[in-house]
Amino acid sequence: MLLFAVLAPFVFALLLIVLAKPIGNKIGYFALPIPVMVFVYFLLQIPSAAREHYPIYFASWVPQMGINLSLSLDGLSLLFALLISGIGSLVFWYSITYLDAKERLANFYIFMLIFMGSMLGVVTANNLLIIYLFWELTSLSSFLLIGFWYDKERSRYGAQKALLITVLGGFATLAAFGLIGQIAGSYELSDVIAKAALIKNSPLYPGIVILVLLGAFTKSAQYPFHIWLPDAMEAPTPVSCYLHSATMVKAGIYLVARMTPILGSTMLWVLLISIVGSVTLFWGGYMALKQKDLKAVLAYSTVSQLGLVIALFGYGSEAAVFAAVFHLLNHSVFKGSLFLVTGMVDHATGTRDITKLRGLSKAMPITATLALFGTFAMAGLPPFNGFLSKELFFASSLETINSSFALGIWSWAFPVLAVIGSIFTFIYCMMIFFRVFRGGPIPDDLPHHPHEPAKGMLIPTALLASMTLVIAFFPNLFAKWLLAPAAKAVSGSLPQIHISFWHGLNMPLLMSAIVIGIGCLLYWRLDKIRIFLAAMPGRPSANHFYDWLIPGGALVRFGGRVGKTHMNGSLRDYLVYILCFFMLLFWGTVIYKDIFIVRFDNLAPIGAFEITWFVLVVTAIFTLVSSKKRVAGLFALSAIGYSVSFFFVLFRAPDLTLTQLLVETVSLVLFFLSFKYLPKDLISSQLSKKYKLFNALISIAVGFSVTCACLIAHSNKFYEPISDYYVASSKILAGGNNIVNVILVDFRGLDTLGEISVIVIAAIGVSALISLGKKHLFKEDNKDE
Amino acid sequence: MNTNLVIGPVMIPLATAIILIIFHRRMLAQKIISIISVSFALLYACYLLYRASDGTILLFYASNWVPPFGIAMVIDMLSALMVTASGILGFVCMIYSLSTMDEGRLRNFYLPLYQMFFVGINGSLITGDIFNLFVFFEIMLMSSYVLLVLGSERGQLREGFKYLIINIVSSSFFLVALGVVYSLAGTMNMADLAVKLPQAPNQGLVTMSAMLFLLVFGVKAAIFPLYFWLPNSYHQPPPAISAIFGGLLTKVGVYVLIRIFTLIFIGDVEFTHSILFVLGVLTMFFGVIITISQTDFRMILSYHIISQVGYMVMGLGMFSVLAVAGAIFHMLHNIIVKTGLFLASGITQEVTGTTDLHKMGGLLHRYPWLGWTFFVTAMALAGVPPLSGFFSKFMLIQAGAELGNYYSIAAVLGVGFLTLFSMIKIFLYAFWGEEKPVPERPDFDYKKIMPACLLLCGIAVCMGLGASYVCDFVLLAAEQLMNPQLYIDTVLFAAI
Repeated sequence: MLLFAVLAPFVFALLLIVLAKPIGNKIGYFALPIPVMVFVYFLLQIPSAAREHYPIYFASWVPQMGINLSLSLDGLSLLFALLISGIGSLVFWYSITYLDAKERLANFYIFMLIFMGSMLGVVTANNLLIIYLFWELTSLSSFLLIGFWYDKERSRYGAQKALLITVLGGFATLAAFGLIGQIAGSYELSDVIAKAALIKNSPLYPGIVILVLLGAFTKSAQYPFHIWLPDAMEAPTPVSCYLHSATMVKAGIYLVARMTPILGSTMLWVLLISIVGSVTLFWGGYMALKQKDLKAVLAYSTVSQLGLVIALFGYGSEAAVFAAVFHLLNHSVFKGSLFLVTGMVDHATGTRDITKLRGLSKAMPITATLALFGTFAMAGLPPFNGFLSKELFFASSLETINSSFALGIWSWAFPVLAVIGSIFTFIYCMMIFFRVFRGGPIPDDLPHHPHEPAKGMLIPTALLASMTLVIAFFPNLFAKWLLAPAAKAVSGSLPQIHISFWHGLNMPLLMSAIVIGIGCLLYWRLDKIRIFLAAMPGRPSANHFYDWLIPGGALVRFGGRVGKTHMNGSLRDYLVYILCFFMLLFWGTVIYKDIFIVRFDNLAPIGAFEITWFVLVVTAIFTLVSSKKRVAGLFALSAIGYSVSFFFVLFRAPDLTLTQLLVETVSLVLFFLSFKYLPKDLISSQLSKKYKLFNALISIAVGFSVTCACLIAHSNKFYEPISDYYVASSKILAGGNNIVNVILVDFRGLDTLGEISVIVIAAIGVSALISLGKKHLFKEDNKDE
Repeated sequence: MNTNLVIGPVMIPLATAIILIIFHRRMLAQKIISIISVSFALLYACYLLYRASDGTILLFYASNWVPPFGIAMVIDMLSALMVTASGILGFVCMIYSLSTMDEGRLRNFYLPLYQMFFVGINGSLITGDIFNLFVFFEIMLMSSYVLLVLGSERGQLREGFKYLIINIVSSSFFLVALGVVYSLAGTMNMADLAVKLPQAPNQGLVTMSAMLFLLVFGVKAAIFPLYFWLPNSYHQPPPAISAIFGGLLTKVGVYVLIRIFTLIFIGDVEFTHSILFVLGVLTMFFGVIITISQTDFRMILSYHIISQVGYMVMGLGMFSVLAVAGAIFHMLHNIIVKTGLFLASGITQEVTGTTDLHKMGGLLHRYPWLGWTFFVTAMALAGVPPLSGFFSKFMLIQAGAELGNYYSIAAVLGVGFLTLFSMIKIFLYAFWGEEKPVPERPDFDYKKIMPACLLLCGIAVCMGLGASYVCDFVLLAAEQLMNPQLYIDTVLFAAI
């Protein structure tokens, strides 16, 4: 059943590919039941998960590599699975109205289903590699969804950026998983957890931590990898809501949570995560205030809130983990509903520019109420759920001061950053609500006249937004059934935490009061602050680096430069490289291995005859390379060939001599036949002296190297050659007196068959070249005449 | 096991080629015979794979001269896998050729040459004699020269000439290397060499001859810094020809490297295989870095061949069962996927009339099948799970982790990332973006030439989902290679 719940979206996505045409633009209605059914299934699993009877599934897939299709649904998985399928249902429902019937609806729903299935796979997988598998699929489906309107330049930019950054992290995670698997001997999560101590003591541990966190931080848009998230907002709003705030970006958090029992509670782990999380919390809030686009504000706000949750996981205490899980749930709820609200505002007014939108609550009262729920919850105001988790967050940030990983006075940075980040959050939340929905009459210059959106969008949004209150009023119900089991999967023990609005006068409450107080004060001067902030730099940002590297073309230019250095199209240069490499390999080995062993005692004697022919060949070679006219070169070439054939005579190989003479003669004749098509002068006459000298040096060096290779080999015969066998048995076994003939047609007849084939192919080739070449080649020559 | 079955992969295309030449004026008959032949060759290869899959090594002595005196043909697991891959490619590219190849080329012996090319390929894959390998290489190269220039277009002739010269130079070195080895060991049979060379009193000399062979097969496999001939020559001929070249030609070079550096030249692994490893990594990086600067569909694919070859050579250089298995897996995966991508580029070229990425755009809207087939195949190349490339790369990562060779992990993932980048670049330019006008071609339906491409994409998906079966095969192949005694004993002593 668990397997089916995870795979159902994939199966239906495949079905939709087939059914897309007949269904037409009603495809949303066919897609909607799948997330709903999956959601119901996961709801029914709550009791068993709370009792720790986890549904599991196991099937071996590629056992040779330790990759098993193994799933398990513990508390943490269940919480995520419910978010994925629950918010998924609402988003599917919302999309039916949101997306125009003319859009590529089939693509949209297929990608969304693939995404949902992948995401469910990530959170239920019990094998590291299956986590990775689904992880990459979420990146890919996110890429396809961001690029849904692929004719827009910005969509393509955003899609590519998101993919590259998240896949970079994904690859890092894969490397880490590979190393973990090597140490633990298995990729099954339960086995790996059992070997946690081994991993932590391994010298590879710091590397593994950094690689895993690289994956988590890129996916969850942590500073400085957050840059892809704001650009991912080019996707249709339901996608931004679903992937880029409620679920996919939380995969990184999930990974951190999952890996905590394996890699957690070390200095490196705790500090790295809590510092990056806190910095992101701060930076995201700061950047959010600088934005004009409503979706951009929400995007940076998501970055900041993800930082908050990550930081909580970093603190690592039981209470912090509980707070993290709680805030994770809350964030999905309020941020999801805010995105849906933004989608409705965009739909109704045609713009998302905060500076243009005013007083929408008059035209869209219900939408405004839903926005109120979302913004106030995010700002951490009572009586919404955000208040509760934020209090817990403050409490946990205070704990770090006394924790075992104290950084001395610097550990105060955590609560301070927490407060500053929350002040930012408070201000932009107020800004979203009071600027867009209140603040005077509706401006006339909006692209559309604002109106309350259709029920198809309103109801799903209302359902989600109302959850902010439901959770706030029954927090302990959620805590008992969902949050505590989820926290236990991370910290190992069931947290005993009672959530309530009133804990008495304590530090967290004071911090909340500070946030609200300073927040209100600053909000009062918002316009000035925004002008001030707009002048402040958005640096240091990895965006500059990314834009320089990828769209700016630095990487491409680098590749081009590397290519141009050696791939210049010149055959002569290619040969120079290849021959130099030959000499490097040859002389490198000879010198390094000290094998320049040449014996001259078994060489044939060199007499006057040999020397004469040698001088002849060398002279011919020099004539060839220095001749300016083709005719002269041709004769020199033939002279070389004929002279070589006399060497065969010397070595008593008359058949080879005959062959060589024949080849030379035929080549010469053919050359003369084609002479009128060739230019008269040889190109070598136009080359510079230096160039020629270099060529000569290379040629002589190669010739010398090959000679040495042959001499060395000739001086070191370790075994009797097989030719002795041929000599002995050609008459007896093969019945022939001429050994060469017997070898050619009998002992090694297959080689001869092959060589004959080569000649046939060459003949065919010549015939085809001529008959097909008539069209373009000969015509041009005729023109010249 | 001694059987005549072994020579089939060579004899089927050879016989077909002869028959096709007889029928060279009857186009329909040629097409029918060709398609029957490639189908039969594919089934035959599958049967051989089945026979080899229990670990037996199949043997054939030409004219029944026992080694080391005669020529032995040997099919072990690696050969069987490669022959099967070549059978698949022969089949798929034939389908594609028949639906796209122009009349002029067909009338000028395209189909017989196609068969002869496979004679050379299959012969190189199954021969157990290093001189015989030279002969089959010549057949393969000679047919590839002719296929490359068939059509006599300007660019074809220009690049064909460079290809020809570089390969002739490398063939000369092949002869030198053969001479050196024959002088040292007095034999040409690979199994016999495997017995004699590791026992030679001076291993330095064996290493020297190993380096000569590395040069020769390095040129064929297009490793750093010997790959110059590849990108432009693969860019020129019709897509069907580029596809078989891109899929198979370099892989035969890699196959031979794997063969000789697990069977014959294992006396000084420390030295030789470290060189292989470094060259492999450099090949990966150089290939992929030049790739990302290209803006031509087929050029990107051509340069990718180089970087992918690097993975295989790196795996060989790591020299463990898992690493060699990963290299073989990657080779099989690449044969399929690379050909699929070349065919996709061919179809794109049919549709748009260009291979320049800047001149196309928005194809996904009107050609969704093409777009998504390309996407899936490209993701397989980039190593996205659960497609074939992921498993081969992960096997190399596992091997790296096992050996404590972390450079290899970094290389696999770093190059994988850049591969993804360049594949996405093609997708962004060609299939996304604004639609650009394409030449009007009435009664042209791109779906008619899709099957070949779809088939390869399907195989890439199946090799991923069914990776477990592929793993069995490649692990068996790698174990046979890493324990060459079985091969040696079978070849040398089966007759006795």
